[in-house]
Amino acid sequence: MGWFSRSSAEQSPAATRQDRQKCWESRDQYFECLDGVGVLTAGEEGTACTKSKFQYEKSCAKSWIDYFNKRRVLAEKQKDMLAQSQLQTQEVKRKL
Amino acid sequence: MSKLSSTYFRSLRPYFTGRSIQCQRQSICMRPKTVTAPGRRCFTSGARDRAAVGVFTPTAAALFVATGVGLFYYFRYEKQKLLEQRQKELESRSVGRAHVGGPFTLTTHENKPFSDQDLLGKWNFVYFGFTNCPDICPAELDKIGSVMTSLEQDYGTIFQPVFISVDPARDSVSQMKTYLTDFHPHIIGLTGDYATVKTTCKAYRVYFSTPPDADPKDDYLVDHSIYVYLMDPNGQFVEAFGQSSTPDEVVERVKKEISEFEKETGRKV
Repeated sequence: MGWFSRSSAEQSPAATRQDRQKCWESRDQYFECLDGVGVLTAGEEGTACTKSKFQYEKSCAKSWIDYFNKRRVLAEKQKDMLAQSQLQTQEVKRKL
Repeated sequence: MSKLSSTYFRSLRPYFTGRSIQCQRQSICMRPKTVTAPGRRCFTSGARDRAAVGVFTPTAAALFVATGVGLFYYFRYEKQKLLEQRQKELESRSVGRAHVGGPFTLTTHENKPFSDQDLLGKWNFVYFGFTNCPDICPAELDKIGSVMTSLEQDYGTIFQPVFISVDPARDSVSQMKTYLTDFHPHIIGLTGDYATVKTTCKAYRVYFSTPPDADPKDDYLVDHSIYVYLMDPNGQFVEAFGQSSTPDEVVERVKKEISEFEKETGRKV
């Protein structure tokens, strides 16, 4: 994979539709593996998902990986918050 | 009596005499009428009634009624007109229209100049993004593509999607050209120098986070507003569609706007 490796001084071309698809698929596989071992924050899984992580890092640019990893944590927090707020509204309704 | 008061009374005398003559004349005039018109007129007695009849002739009555009716209908018509106008103003997009958009001159992915004037005469979808965008920009561009395909089937090529880069350091003309081969063929990619892009974004109320001295070789992301703007053929802002709007919703809304625009301006694009 050439477009994301930034060893050369040249600006790499933007990802094509195929590149993006490949990256998203590898990301989904890696995150699935993290879910399997019960890890939320990428990098805390130890050696559990080495294979899918390798593929993920091969298919996606560093900036994208950072972004996806951060968003995974944020999305989880959001899910918690949404669930909490739903619980609260239900409680309020019950009291009324 | 002083000299002054005597002159005062003298000056008043002609007025009183004149009035008494008038009264006399009136009574003379009225008398034959009462005599010649027996029946009802006989029962109306007294100067007040006679005076009232004198002013309120059948012609005057008819005129009075006619004016009344006329005024009534006139005011009703005016009120109706006012209501209609207010209704139209409420429905019209020109009232309370957000001030989005402004002059700019950028370069297309075909290396041609493109200004805000080139937006006129077509329905435009204006979207801001960058080619190294991980997932939102390509998804939004695909959405524009599917909306375009659906709308062009019904209306023909009266639409112009514009993709303006918020990452001018990396998004060169050739980069944009390569990137856009993946999307709907009518999408026009626009880029320029940092200052021009910045002013354009400001005019469109778009926030973006690229620093002015970004290194094109760096691997970074740009945080930016992700709205698709709909601009009418007069270059006026109509609506902003967020990520949550589905293609079907956008298509429906655009169709409604087109029919309203045609009704308002009386012309098709």
